[in-house]
Amino acid sequence: MKRETAEKITLLAFAGYLLVFFLLQFIIKDREFSARENRYLQMLPEFSFESLFKGSYTGDFEDYCADQFPFRDQWITLNARYELLSGKKQTNGIYLCEGERLIKPFTAPDENELERRVQAVELLREKLRVPLTLALIPDGAELYGEQLPEGAPNDSQGALIEQVRASTDIPMADLLTPLREGKAAGGCLFYRTDHHWTTLGAYYGYQGLSRSLGLTPRSLDSYNRLTVAGDFYGTAYSASGYTWVAPDSIERFVDPDEAATLTRYDSAEGTEVPLYREESLQSKDKYTYFLGGNSPRSVLRGTDDSLPRLLILRDSYCDALAPFLLEHYSEIHLLDMRYYLGSPEEYARENNIDQVLVLYSVANFCEQNSVFALAE
Amino acid sequence: MVFSTLVFLFLYLPIVLLLYYLLPFRYRNLFLFLASLFFYGWGEPVYILLMLLTITVNYASGLLVDKYRDNDRLARCIVAASTVVSLGFLLYFKYADLLIGSCNSILGTSFPLLRLALPVGISFYTFQTMTYPIDIYRGDATVQRSYVSFGAYVALFPQLIAGPIVCYKDIDAQLNVREHSVGKFSAGAERFVTGLAKKVLLANGIGSLWDSYAAMSPSSLSAGGAWLGAVAFSLQIYFDFSGYSDMAIGMGKMLGFEFLENFNYPYISASVTEFWRRWHISLGSWFRDYVYIPLGGNRRGLPRQLLNLLIVWSLTGLWHGANWTFLLWGLYFAAFLIMEKLFLLQWLEKHRGIGHIYALLVAVCGWVIFQLDSVGEAVGYYRAMFGLGSARWGAGDLFLLRSYLPILLVALLGATPLPKKLWQRLPERLRGVLTPLLILLGLTVCTAKLTNDTYNPFLYFRF
Repeated sequence: MKRETAEKITLLAFAGYLLVFFLLQFIIKDREFSARENRYLQMLPEFSFESLFKGSYTGDFEDYCADQFPFRDQWITLNARYELLSGKKQTNGIYLCEGERLIKPFTAPDENELERRVQAVELLREKLRVPLTLALIPDGAELYGEQLPEGAPNDSQGALIEQVRASTDIPMADLLTPLREGKAAGGCLFYRTDHHWTTLGAYYGYQGLSRSLGLTPRSLDSYNRLTVAGDFYGTAYSASGYTWVAPDSIERFVDPDEAATLTRYDSAEGTEVPLYREESLQSKDKYTYFLGGNSPRSVLRGTDDSLPRLLILRDSYCDALAPFLLEHYSEIHLLDMRYYLGSPEEYARENNIDQVLVLYSVANFCEQNSVFALAE
Repeated sequence: MVFSTLVFLFLYLPIVLLLYYLLPFRYRNLFLFLASLFFYGWGEPVYILLMLLTITVNYASGLLVDKYRDNDRLARCIVAASTVVSLGFLLYFKYADLLIGSCNSILGTSFPLLRLALPVGISFYTFQTMTYPIDIYRGDATVQRSYVSFGAYVALFPQLIAGPIVCYKDIDAQLNVREHSVGKFSAGAERFVTGLAKKVLLANGIGSLWDSYAAMSPSSLSAGGAWLGAVAFSLQIYFDFSGYSDMAIGMGKMLGFEFLENFNYPYISASVTEFWRRWHISLGSWFRDYVYIPLGGNRRGLPRQLLNLLIVWSLTGLWHGANWTFLLWGLYFAAFLIMEKLFLLQWLEKHRGIGHIYALLVAVCGWVIFQLDSVGEAVGYYRAMFGLGSARWGAGDLFLLRSYLPILLVALLGATPLPKKLWQRLPERLRGVLTPLLILLGLTVCTAKLTNDTYNPFLYFRF
């Protein structure tokens, strides 16, 4: 090849690449919503001199270009491939582990921070006239931590739970031991592509809770296990860009017709909804199949009025777990302190609650500001 | 605007290149001027006025100096006045808060800080423009009568925000006549993509390794980890800065300009003197031509020469940032340079092997104080580096080393002239085939990286 020809081809390669993507930006229609990122994308910002001089216009415009860039999702996947090739076993904080498990490692907060959070629970306990139990759920980074690449930074959640236990006299349920036993017995306790526990994981959590709440848990083989979805891609999948990993499947253990009702109070008026939301299985966020997803307040009612009433101050891990508890209580009240603005202590009094359970994943307990709202 | 963004690569650059080549030559400087002002105003539109003011002051000074060339006193006054104005802007926008803050902490006063947004590239373009009247006065450059051409020179977007510092005298002929050719454009494209890959893949890729160490408390740093972090930053800043210069030089070529080189494999130096001849060459020559030599350089005896070196390196240090740590960094180099001038250089020339190790150590250790925010932090980091920290080496260090090993090796190799030499030994035909392929590959991976940087999934991550 003559030098001139080579130069022409080089020029064409460069200019062609720029030009193709330049044009594609105009040809491909803008998307309003990204299912992968689970958020609304920036649309073309409206020009005004005010926004220009405030500096928001050019910033929005850059976001617009980035959000609407042709084949955005595919570029993210390509980047994840490149990072792996270049030796990094993680993108965007998510590690690709053995068995295609995606794990976000745990970083422990400093001691003062943790202490302040435990104090919030202690304050609540002092105000209550009924017993309170604290249960911290270790997540996949703890149970499957050995699958992380060797030496990856990952603080021990077991040690953190012990630290909390040593620092307070709040009764604590031990979920880690039954989860470990469950793992040894086989089966997948945490989704590979999501941070939540699987229904099986929630079952072992239920076992751990039963020990400290004095319940007699049902045996695993007494359930009629049913796989309701086989194509669940969770949050770790969305965050990472490792889009080639296989999906998870979602199981249901407790039959919906075991004569219970679920009332969600998303507004002041409650609406009765099914225990499992079938539509969720067609959506992106399939975990909301359980109890229909986040709600400031919802109430599960069983059939036997002679049983006690339980209040759970909860995060989303509770969704998969609550159905197991149903047969042991006449009512289970669920408050999500991120959205519920009242005082849990008043709530317990007004609703004749017999037992309060503070149930958070370790990571949520360490990070969520809603923990401080417990003391109100 | 920043080069390594999607909006620059896939909107601004294609539009500018297309229009530039569609226009007849006589309109191209005007177009470059306007396009560059747009580029400059993207982040902070108000600062376009500052840019125009800077251009106007120096343009007018150039004309006046040229007109009153025969009246030396007046000409000098004009040069002095325009220099004061240019430096005044720089001082006000970049250093006012440092001075106010220091004044407050020393005298116990409480003057409020100005908290001005630093106009992008002000350190670079101030140095470019303020020397223009000086060069006219010295007779090193001919006066530019066209406001548009002068404006295009000052605001020229390829080198506006991160150099190289292009002096007017080096470019004045090109403003009036410059050659555009397929060969020059393709060489520019090659250079640009090389720079982009250096910045996006190497510098950003290694940057997170340094970040993990910089974020650790000094007490938890191991000695090996501290060195790994410092080496990572040394590579990051080299590839970042030289990558920017490559992109500038590459885009310059695409627009018909030839800028001087700014980096020449600084990490293969065998002395600190040599390092500074290879690192940010345009800054070094600027201080040589406009500060060191006018102060007398080495012509007024040794004590004066040493004083001159101290002045130049204090200023060089502070030029890099408005923090006293930068002054310290400059003086740190001055100390080595003075030692080399006095006796060390002669010895090093006979022991080049040791010289290489010594120059690398000085550079790597220097970056620690350069990059950390306070002397206290730097001291903590140095203590860890020299074995006074917690441990020699930890499992976390091994993990990081393993994760970054491939990219570190590529970067270490890329900091030497070896890859270039190997490349040039390939048959020309093969290079002709490989170049476009590598350009496409580089652009593709960079696009993926840049898109990922904007990836912002909304996850109820913990809920």
